[in-house]
Amino acid sequence: MNKLRAFLGYRMRALIRKEFRQILRDRRLAISLILPPTLQLLLFGFALNATVSNLRLGVVDDSRTPESRELVATMTGSKSFQGAGTYLSVNEMSKKIADGNLEAGLVIPYDYARDLQRGRPATVQVMLNAMNSNTATIGEGYAQGVIATYNQTLAGEGIHAHFQEIAAPNVSRLGRVLIHPAYLYNPGLEPTWFIVTGILGVLLILNGSLISAAAIVKEREAGTLEQLLMSPASTTQIIVAKLFPLFVLLCMMGTLAVAIMRVVFGIPFRGNVLLVIAAAALCLLCGIAIGTFIATFTRSARQAQLTLFFVNPPLTSLSGAFTPVEAMPKWLQPVAQFNPIQHFGMISRGAMLKGSGIETLWPNFLALLAFTVVLVSLSIWRFRKQLS
Amino acid sequence: MRRIFAQAIKELTQLLRDKLAVALALLLPVILLLLQTTAISLTVKDLPIIVQDLDESQASQKLVDAFRESLSFHVASWPTDKQPEEAFASNKARGALIIPEEYGRKIARGEDATVQILVDASDGNTAQIISGDAQQIVRAYNAENAGATRPQPVNAAIRLWYNPSRSSQKFYGPGIYVLAMSLFPPLLATLAMSKEGEQKTILQVYVSNISAHEFLLGKIAAFMIVATGEAIIMMSILFLGFGLRFAGDPTPFLVATILYMFTVTTFGNMIGAAIPSQVAAMQAVALTGFLLVYMLSGLLFPVQNIPAAIRWISSLVWGRYYIEVVRDALLAGGGWPSVWPKVLAIGAIGTIFYTLAWRSMRRMQLKD
Repeated sequence: MNKLRAFLGYRMRALIRKEFRQILRDRRLAISLILPPTLQLLLFGFALNATVSNLRLGVVDDSRTPESRELVATMTGSKSFQGAGTYLSVNEMSKKIADGNLEAGLVIPYDYARDLQRGRPATVQVMLNAMNSNTATIGEGYAQGVIATYNQTLAGEGIHAHFQEIAAPNVSRLGRVLIHPAYLYNPGLEPTWFIVTGILGVLLILNGSLISAAAIVKEREAGTLEQLLMSPASTTQIIVAKLFPLFVLLCMMGTLAVAIMRVVFGIPFRGNVLLVIAAAALCLLCGIAIGTFIATFTRSARQAQLTLFFVNPPLTSLSGAFTPVEAMPKWLQPVAQFNPIQHFGMISRGAMLKGSGIETLWPNFLALLAFTVVLVSLSIWRFRKQLS
Repeated sequence: MRRIFAQAIKELTQLLRDKLAVALALLLPVILLLLQTTAISLTVKDLPIIVQDLDESQASQKLVDAFRESLSFHVASWPTDKQPEEAFASNKARGALIIPEEYGRKIARGEDATVQILVDASDGNTAQIISGDAQQIVRAYNAENAGATRPQPVNAAIRLWYNPSRSSQKFYGPGIYVLAMSLFPPLLATLAMSKEGEQKTILQVYVSNISAHEFLLGKIAAFMIVATGEAIIMMSILFLGFGLRFAGDPTPFLVATILYMFTVTTFGNMIGAAIPSQVAAMQAVALTGFLLVYMLSGLLFPVQNIPAAIRWISSLVWGRYYIEVVRDALLAGGGWPSVWPKVLAIGAIGTIFYTLAWRSMRRMQLKD
């Protein structure tokens, strides 16, 4: 107990006060604590949107009958497609698709209405620009869905019945299965809810590592590290005093980010916010540890920043923050488990969107804690080795 | 001309002596391209779903089998006495198929029976894919079992153009290539330029008889050579590793690439000339290069999804035009008729950057 008191005594307090002043006096560092993370969160949240809706649909209607116009109206009236002009020939329309002015095209053959009236099945062609695989997958589902709905309205108008008489004479038939999807946790399918809850982890690690590397290298570049070593404070005291203010200031940034999530993006906090804050603090410690670790290997701020380029982008792309981990190739998915950001995403999505508690999230917490302990002790070990 | 050449040689020699910068120039684009292209995808496959079969009849088993056989899902076991929400909370499943009692009897009587699919929608995009896949399975199931007697009056024949296998690598690969081209060449250029200001070697340039144009063009030429090397490496990875080919006339791509390399290295030089501090200039380039090109150029998600209030910014983002040219060259193959305005836009932005960089250099004197 006495030892602890001595450790946290006036020397420690003086050192911590010194670090706080040093950070806050460096205007660029102080600004970079607040401005980039806020800006990034807002931009990411607003700009990254995977929704597929209002696909621009071009139409070539060779049939030119009330029946074909009704099909066009059904297609363009849905939220999935919007009408973007009619074309005289398929060639003309496919050029527009190639130029990226249209995402989809509908071709109705000249015998469409005649076939329907005679009770023969009619086939229309739907072309989708599949360059973007996600748009193609979802757009295909939309097109099928709209046509299926249209078929049901046709049935209601009696065209189907007339049609059935010819195609299916007195066979005892089985009933159809209707499937009704229900969306839990995010019934409006709001895309920002997924992105923003994941991005928070990326921001914590990214900014934590950048700022701590800058702060630590600065002392070395200025040559004031020797002065600190000459003071009667122990190396552990120096390290703790160095990292503590960074942690406190970064935690404030994290809290600001969580507030933005609630106020600007309207993300529900269905579970315990404290779980998210605790996970965010662990994530920050990971980031600070990465930054410190790299700072001990580099001689200048420029070198530290360049080295971080080798660490942060891979960490971000394997985090499942922008795109779901389940969409990665099977062999890559286990690798993502070694990423603190991935576990943070599970916790923040679980606690905020699904209302999960610690009883389901504990494996992720445990993993995050393990990363923090390993990374922090690794960086402190490197730092001490350098100081002595 | 001779002075431009000498300046370029000097720049390259200086770059080669900095091992970390060389690694950044040649290694990092490769790592980024391989990793991101393999990892980024939005189209989930083989997702775990659970089944709650309250009917337990032969008919319901048949429907479950249809789900089990599909590539989109695999059925995870889940005790019937537990709520499906618990499976979602612990990430054991992303969807739950619920078959009500009386399902089999209704089907046998020829009535329509409704089943429910509960979807974990915390990821909206995945949720849409799950519900779309489930509906497709049920549609196919109906066509096979109930459908022979009830063919649909209108059928849609869906054609997928340009990327019929819906490979996400073919879509994201070119995008990541553009991201790397927008990030690394300007980063190196800005480091070299701000270094001159930071270490005051710029004074030596000022007292020499080199003109501002020659100095700038020499620097730009040097980093365009580096960028060409990066482009060749990355394109060979895209061609050999991810199976991309030129879909049509490659000349628009070549012209656009040269213009784009000019634009990004000039951008780096412009920032470096304005900010005489390596760390600050690097952060400025990384932030603008990364944020603008990653988020406002349609690299991951369509530009039309960006809210209108900030969408106009994306028409100023140089990367946006280059992405469209690259995707056209590698996937759609529209050639000059469909991309010439975009090539022109890249050239225009490059000219603006060059003018700005020259304006801050032209006096060849220290700023007061």
